[in-house]
Amino acid sequence: MIFQANPFEQLLAVLAYWDRFLTGFLLTMWMYVWALFLGFLLGLLLALSRQYGHFFIQKIAIIYIEIIRGTPLIAQLFFISFLPNALNFSIDIMIIETNLFNRSFRLLDYPIFVGILTLILNSGAYQAEYLRGSFVSVGTGQLEAARAIGMSRFSSIRHIVLPQALRRVIPSWSNEAAYLPKYTVLVYFIGGVEELFSQADYIQHRTSFPFATYIIVAILFLITITLISKLLDTIHKRTSIPGL
Amino acid sequence: MVEPLLRVSDVSKSYDELQVLKDVSFDLLERDVKVIFGPSGSGKSTLLRCINMLNPPDKGKIFLRGNNITAPKVDLNTIRTRIGMVFQHFNLFAHLKAIDNVSIGLRRVKGLKKQEAYEKAFKALDRVKLTEWADHYPAQLSGGQQQRVGIARALAMEPDLILFDEPTSALDPELIGEVLQVMLDLAKAGTTMLVVTHEMGFARAVASELLFIDKGIIIERGTPEHFSVSPTSDRVKQFLQQLDVLYGSHEKLLDILDEEEKI
Ligand SMILES: Nc1ncnc2c1ncn2[C@@H]1O[C@H](COP(=O)(O)OP(=O)(O)OP(=O)(O)O)[C@@H](O)[C@H]1O
Ligand SMILES: [Mg+2]
Repeated sequence: MIFQANPFEQLLAVLAYWDRFLTGFLLTMWMYVWALFLGFLLGLLLALSRQYGHFFIQKIAIIYIEIIRGTPLIAQLFFISFLPNALNFSIDIMIIETNLFNRSFRLLDYPIFVGILTLILNSGAYQAEYLRGSFVSVGTGQLEAARAIGMSRFSSIRHIVLPQALRRVIPSWSNEAAYLPKYTVLVYFIGGVEELFSQADYIQHRTSFPFATYIIVAILFLITITLISKLLDTIHKRTSIPGL
Repeated sequence: MVEPLLRVSDVSKSYDELQVLKDVSFDLLERDVKVIFGPSGSGKSTLLRCINMLNPPDKGKIFLRGNNITAPKVDLNTIRTRIGMVFQHFNLFAHLKAIDNVSIGLRRVKGLKKQEAYEKAFKALDRVKLTEWADHYPAQLSGGQQQRVGIARALAMEPDLILFDEPTSALDPELIGEVLQVMLDLAKAGTTMLVVTHEMGFARAVASELLFIDKGIIIERGTPEHFSVSPTSDRVKQFLQQLDVLYGSHEKLLDILDEEEKI
């Protein structure tokens, strides 16, 4: 390098690649949103199975949750991405592509699919535990009272436990909502996914300003996660039960 | 002979090694009120939970209007709509307003339309004198009000009988009276009730029979007069003395309520 750029100049140089930051960030958020919401459905299913299911269903849910929580996400990512190869079958994943800032923007292909799927499977296990905690906190008294007026088990869970558990879970669920964007970056290691970190890697090589590059990445995360927390906080307040 | 509304016949129940109920038998006629009392852990709650099959008995039979509800393949959800239950700790649905606590069974179990369910629920709230509180959530109500909502919730289903499990024992003394008054009104209106309580004043006012249960066995039964004048077993005498020390003052509550009514 011939000249020493000051931090401000470094930031400007890096920000010249704003379109890459933005598409990378959007892809990361795209994967995050799928993982969070489908992970929630999986988590709900697991939590209901673990808390209210029959013996075998309970055991299956417990084993699944423990395996996921007991192994690193990065190992799960590799496991899922190498699995078809190891078992000698291939999966055809549709490629969905669009244009963004005059560059092609991939929403779905094989590595992105692996990334989203793994994140769903992973986040589902954590969300299951948060949800189960909130089922437990609702207590058995109300469930019993519901049964005592003749409500079926299903109806009691659906109309009495769930509405309260879903409210109660919001504070701990926001943990998962705030952690998951940071876990989503691990998809970088599958390779071939143009999410935020692979874009950042490209930018820092082109500019040779890694510090400024990752400062921008950090700021993007900071803003996003702050907004997510604030949003969930508002939802929590809006849905709280009067008097409680 | 009149067929009893409820017949409990040789009911036994164990938790693991611990036998909680041993061959408990009694009948309850329509419009009758009976009181069950006895020391903590004697199996009173377990007995009530056997009767509405929340915890089915291991042995023995329970008949509701002559139908054996302990038989296999009985539709318990339908049976439970006919047996109301009021809990010691109210167990109100915390996310529902009083009116919805009372109407949810009508809607979700009996399948009534919202409008119709609300009308019935409102009548039930009226019987416990809480219509003005219909739109309040449980956490916005006093303990006494919460328990009255609990009673209204049971009443709204128009059950054949209502089981009460120590309905006033979690309440502050000054709130007990309002709940007992509602229960007295129900009894006088002909509601069939099986009440676990240590409120002897209530028992004296409306119960046809008291059952004293200890270690899962009904060891003495008789009219309220029998227990106040000539209980036979020492265990009962000793227990009644302890009650007198603890609850003696509550008796006056009912006297006060009676006087208020006269005015
Ligand atoms: N689900 C359960 N599992 C194991 N033991 C139980 C269970 N429920 C109750 N017991 C035991 O059964 C016995 C009777 O309990 P129960 O609640 O019927 O007593 P109780 O007469 O209602 O007492 P209290 O006046 O304290 O309410 C107690 O020893 C209790 O510990
Ligand atoms: Mg009890």
